[in-house]
Amino acid sequence: MPRLATNYKECDQHERAYQAQDAIFVARKRSVSAKKVKPMRWVKNVGLGIKTPDAAIEGNYVDKKCPFTGNVSIRGKILKGLVISTKMKRTIVVRRDYLHYITKYRRFEKRHKNIHAHCSPCFAVKEGDIVTIGQCRPLAKTVKFNVVAHEAQRTKTGKKTFRMF
Amino acid sequence: MTRIGEKRIHEVRTRGGNKKFRALRLDSGNFSWGTEVCTRKVRVLDVVYNASNNELVRTKTLVKGAIVVVDAHPFKSWYEGHYGVKIGIKKGRVDAAAAAAAPEEEEKKKSSHVLRKLAARGKGRTIEDAIDHQMASGRLYAKITSRPGQSGRCDGAILEGPELAFYLKQLKK
Repeated sequence: MPRLATNYKECDQHERAYQAQDAIFVARKRSVSAKKVKPMRWVKNVGLGIKTPDAAIEGNYVDKKCPFTGNVSIRGKILKGLVISTKMKRTIVVRRDYLHYITKYRRFEKRHKNIHAHCSPCFAVKEGDIVTIGQCRPLAKTVKFNVVAHEAQRTKTGKKTFRMF
Repeated sequence: MTRIGEKRIHEVRTRGGNKKFRALRLDSGNFSWGTEVCTRKVRVLDVVYNASNNELVRTKTLVKGAIVVVDAHPFKSWYEGHYGVKIGIKKGRVDAAAAAAAPEEEEKKKSSHVLRKLAARGKGRTIEDAIDHQMASGRLYAKITSRPGQSGRCDGAILEGPELAFYLKQLKK
């Protein structure tokens, strides 16, 4: 059972501005005799039966776009797809394959759509993994989804196979 | 856009008939000292750091998230009144301050009730070294948390703890 940290652990400060969660008062005086100790990390339950990962609760990263430790809500569509690229900073490209029916020939054709999704540091995502993404408010020009669950792939099916979910 | 100077605020009519207050020049704001839960209206003296753009520091532009230098006297006098302890005394002047304080205290006699109240407040009272230093020079570092171009106000919070340490290091660079 992961527990919320009671001691403040600063995250790696790579930016020029101080990175900290909005909801936590970092400079709070921790009294010696406090009976109820307030945690120094803010985590929320995303809802819709989604389990918040241990890495989000125990970690000390700061990501305002993370669905568990940041200020975004997951609502609308929940989709599943295959990860094809993880080269962007904290965002990934997810590929969704589907079959489109041509009425004249009574057959199907393969089509796909790429979706850009924000990927929180609590998920260690590699290319070829299966990922569940949830719709959220626009986070960037092309990013309107957020990674909400992750299923690593051991078998090297790679990112070129057609897989419908 | 918002510089330091005598208050100059333009009202803008926005969508839906609502108002926005575009502050063009501001000189003071409501700053809060988090750990002591004390908020005072103080003068903004200087812009010292901006994570987004150094140009905004050079032109002394007040924006949300900018680190500014703020007058410390209202906080200092509140602290001394609340706890009855002098803070921000420079090392060389400790003897002089003690000598000056002695005759003053003889004039103002505090009732036992007041003394008990001060003693209760004094329990668990700590002051950060870095803030004590800043009090001595009469200037505190603070971060602006309001949006002066939208609300017309320059409000913020005094930097403390890890955040203060971080920005002091950035300022040294």
